[in-house]
Amino acid sequence: MKTGALVLVVVSLLLLPAAAAAAPEGTLTWAVHVSVAPTWFDPAETAGIVTPFMLLYAMHDALVKPMPGNAMTPSLAESWSVSKDGLAYEFVLRKNVKFHNGDPMTAEDVKFSFERYRGASASLLKARVARVEIVDPHRVRFVLKQPWPDFMTFYATPATGAAWIVPKRYVEKVGDEGFKKAPVGAGPYRLVSFRPGVELTLEAFEQFWRKTPSVKTLVFRVVPDESTRLAALKRGEVDIAYSITGALAEELKRTPGLTLAPTHFTFTTWLLFTEQWDPKSPWHDRRVRLAANHAIDRQGINQAVYLGLAKPAHNFVPSGMEYFWTPPPHAYDPRRARALLAEAGYPNGFDAGEVTGEMIYGGAIGEPVVNYLQAVGIRAKLRLMERAAFYKEYGEKKLRGTLHTGSGAPGNAATRIDTYAVTGGRYVYGTYPEIDGLFSEQANETNPRARQQILHKIQQLIHERAMFAPIIEPAFLNGVGPRAAVHGLGLVANFPYSSPYEDLKVKTR
Amino acid sequence: MAVRAETSRAAGLTLAWRFAALRANGFPLIPITILAVLALVAVFAEALAPHDPEVGVLGERFKPPAWQAGGSERYLLGTDHLGRDVLSRLIYGARVSMVVGLAAVAFAGTLGTALGILSGYLGGWVDQVIMRVTDAWLALPGLTFAIFLAAVVGPSAMNIVIILGAVYWTRYARVIRGEVLSLKERDFVRLAIVANCSKWTIMRRHILPNVANSAVVLGTLMLGVVIVTEASLSFLGVGVPPPQPAWGLMLADGKKGLMAGYWWLTVLPGSCIMLMVLSANLLGDWLRVKLDPQLRQL
Amino acid sequence: MKTYILRRLGYSLISLVLLSVTIFLFVRVTGDPAVLLVEPGASKADVDALRAQLGLDRPLWEQYVAFVRSLLRGDFGQSFYYRTPVFDLYLSRLPNSLLLAACAMAFSLLVGIPTGILAAVRVNRWWDSVGKIFALLGLSMPAFWVGLVMILFFSVYLGWLPSSGSGTAAHLVMPAVALGWYFAAAHMRLTRSSMLEVLGSEYVKLARLKGLPEALVIAKHAFKNALIPVLTLAGINLVIMVNVAVVVETVFAWPGIGRLLYEGITFRDFPVVQATVLLGGAMIVAVNLVVDVLYAVIDPRIRYGR
Repeated sequence: MKTGALVLVVVSLLLLPAAAAAAPEGTLTWAVHVSVAPTWFDPAETAGIVTPFMLLYAMHDALVKPMPGNAMTPSLAESWSVSKDGLAYEFVLRKNVKFHNGDPMTAEDVKFSFERYRGASASLLKARVARVEIVDPHRVRFVLKQPWPDFMTFYATPATGAAWIVPKRYVEKVGDEGFKKAPVGAGPYRLVSFRPGVELTLEAFEQFWRKTPSVKTLVFRVVPDESTRLAALKRGEVDIAYSITGALAEELKRTPGLTLAPTHFTFTTWLLFTEQWDPKSPWHDRRVRLAANHAIDRQGINQAVYLGLAKPAHNFVPSGMEYFWTPPPHAYDPRRARALLAEAGYPNGFDAGEVTGEMIYGGAIGEPVVNYLQAVGIRAKLRLMERAAFYKEYGEKKLRGTLHTGSGAPGNAATRIDTYAVTGGRYVYGTYPEIDGLFSEQANETNPRARQQILHKIQQLIHERAMFAPIIEPAFLNGVGPRAAVHGLGLVANFPYSSPYEDLKVKTR
Repeated sequence: MAVRAETSRAAGLTLAWRFAALRANGFPLIPITILAVLALVAVFAEALAPHDPEVGVLGERFKPPAWQAGGSERYLLGTDHLGRDVLSRLIYGARVSMVVGLAAVAFAGTLGTALGILSGYLGGWVDQVIMRVTDAWLALPGLTFAIFLAAVVGPSAMNIVIILGAVYWTRYARVIRGEVLSLKERDFVRLAIVANCSKWTIMRRHILPNVANSAVVLGTLMLGVVIVTEASLSFLGVGVPPPQPAWGLMLADGKKGLMAGYWWLTVLPGSCIMLMVLSANLLGDWLRVKLDPQLRQL
Repeated sequence: MKTYILRRLGYSLISLVLLSVTIFLFVRVTGDPAVLLVEPGASKADVDALRAQLGLDRPLWEQYVAFVRSLLRGDFGQSFYYRTPVFDLYLSRLPNSLLLAACAMAFSLLVGIPTGILAAVRVNRWWDSVGKIFALLGLSMPAFWVGLVMILFFSVYLGWLPSSGSGTAAHLVMPAVALGWYFAAAHMRLTRSSMLEVLGSEYVKLARLKGLPEALVIAKHAFKNALIPVLTLAGINLVIMVNVAVVVETVFAWPGIGRLLYEGITFRDFPVVQATVLLGGAMIVAVNLVVDVLYAVIDPRIRYGR
């Protein structure tokens, strides 16, 4: 008895410092390049871009999500299985997971989160999933109408936010707008304060199922101006600065004490010719679109903007994605571009109207691109828009002229083609019936090799018809200061931002 | 009487102060030369600019001015982030500043003088209405009002001129009205009234020529203000839209390179703006003294 | 006295009304206001709903009345981007602008007044010429130019001060100087001419005749009276500073209402733009009224004048 008590005392004494060490402390501050939008607090509204996941990884959690080393790491789900006929996917939920407000996570929340999802590819998901069954409080079954090999790609990756779970009772109580003001999730951090346009502060949620986060407070400071971000990093006001390009990136490299931490993710930017479907527009002629492709010096842009750390793109599908087809590259050949334009009837070029782009990439890449186009006589003007507004108007097909667009959404070639090149896709202004036909073929194809062949054919068609002018797969260049012991950049493959948040560490001394 | 003498002594001191600021015979040679050169540059931009101001060669970006290490004679004043020649952009930018500045000043001046004359001479409810509107609009700082209008109608070169005119006519109206009020009491006007001249004739033949001086002086002073406002609008991104080069826009672009030490992208366009404004202000000061010392209150 | 105050109050009210009418009309008349006031990229259904909600089919004056009613309630609309009432957004940023303007004003007075006095006292001598150059430069150099040059020297080359952002006193120095520079020149000029006038006045001459030392004459008699017009102008300029700080706040990324206006135009968040302009104008009208009344209290000649 006495020895037992002694052992207990010794063990607790030993555990005490460990317990104390587990208490979160310190603050990590980011200078973020985009203004944090409240829509990004809600997984139901992910718009097919990767930006919202910066916050989703912090405040929420998903059944399955990419983590270091495994693109489909079971998180809120312990495991899942597929039925033999491929029609039912069953997830076994982790027990004792609590939301920030104390509510326990159950299958009800999973079903609710799926049904309220209205972001990118929502209609596709809803069309394919016949019903969601609650087998018991910790088991959920998704029943499909027909076998769909891409179900996990759409449901269980950041291609959509449908698997990110929100508390049903809470959302029903406060409503969607209330939820955006005071979000509650199952992630490692909870919202403390949000000053729109200025900063977002999060605090560690110690009952996070996976582990207690080591950093107590996360601050996301909105600094849209690149030089201000770098200045803040240099002075130690922030620990990590996102998106530093060009001359400032070189300055960053030269500064002692700061590190340049590039991340890559499945992101391509390309020019979308919305007017190619209009017979009256110069863009209707394939030669004009080809000319645009030859006019751009992709390697030059790579050097100038990304210090050579990015990768020129000739396919709008990122090279890291499954079912990627390697195209013959478009050479940088301004003379050929001019010749093509002359052939098409525009020997002196033509007035190409506006190229509309989103602020960050439109600014960094769109500007040099427009410069190259002008050099061959395609006289275009660049117009930049704020990110959320750009994608919204783009999705509503309100934007005209040429668009400089990009997508960092994960998935595979099929998901990309679905969103950008098939009738009904969220950002599709037009396409060819052959592509539609081929796409539905591959959707039902269970043999991976056959599927790959079809998907390759689609990409080939897109390439031959010059539907787009792919430009580059950007590198996301970030600056890291001395205090960020573990900054999380590059830990999760194909994800540009710091994560997983619960693993980050800051030097408190 | 002694007070009168004292005030005129103070006034004389002020005048003396101004004269000492200018050349020996008072003629502001330097400002006028600068403005003339800028005007010529604006007119002959095509002939003067060595390169296309709107298209650059990316490989030649961030070249410093020719006299610094790394510079070349091809790009005398260096290049910007897209490899565009800074000198050419400055030259074409002069055109924007000159044209927009002069047009806006002319527009504001015409509108403001006309309304000032009407208000001062006709009096009554016309005066009340115009003055109340002037007061209300003067409450809004020019830049804020201009930004608002640019947000509403959308920026284009034409719109900017109209916007600047709409914002700044009030400055004229106030001053001209004051002048007209005192002119009304003068003998030659009274004679014209007695001689049954119509109101419009009087305003046109007698009042207008006499307020022309003030209008001109005010014009040169407003030119500086208008140019700064236009540069501010361009800097904020609601001025003359790119890729047309405007000095304010060059400043905005150049700011990105500031931290990397690319000083010429901000210092050069900023100096141009300052030179133009300084010259306009000096010219205005001199004109104010030359044409009518009574205009001290301007 | 009361009639004077009432008359000034009346004029201010008229100014406010005219301002609101101007802003209202410009939005309604130049194109489709529903498109401006609704979120960029909203669906047609949303635009139509807003059209009905704003009553855009009603006669113009009815719309105006509704507009004014909502303003008086404090409802300046909702920011598309931040999804919060614009009024709250404005109030949260206002203290930052006030802080900046206060520091800029302090700078402009600390530099402008002594220089002006010295220039007046040493008329036509060396110091006066220096003052003249300073005034000319101050009035000719746009605030953002001053700011950029300062960043170049004090941040990039010397590394003494942070180039942008807010949070510490060091962040405040450059924006305050950039903003206050122009006003320092203006205050200097006014102090100088005001001082000159006072120095030439009767009772100063009397003081001199009495044999009082020059320094005492300046300090006791001239100084106080010369300052009155300067401080009046300073009061008005403070509010003007708050509103024209747009460019300085943008250059230095200072989170005030000027930056808010810039965000409004960049994000095409029109309710923000409209509200900032309305509130800015209202602020200036209010301050003008207060200054006029105070002036009348101090100087009886004015109340019985025009």
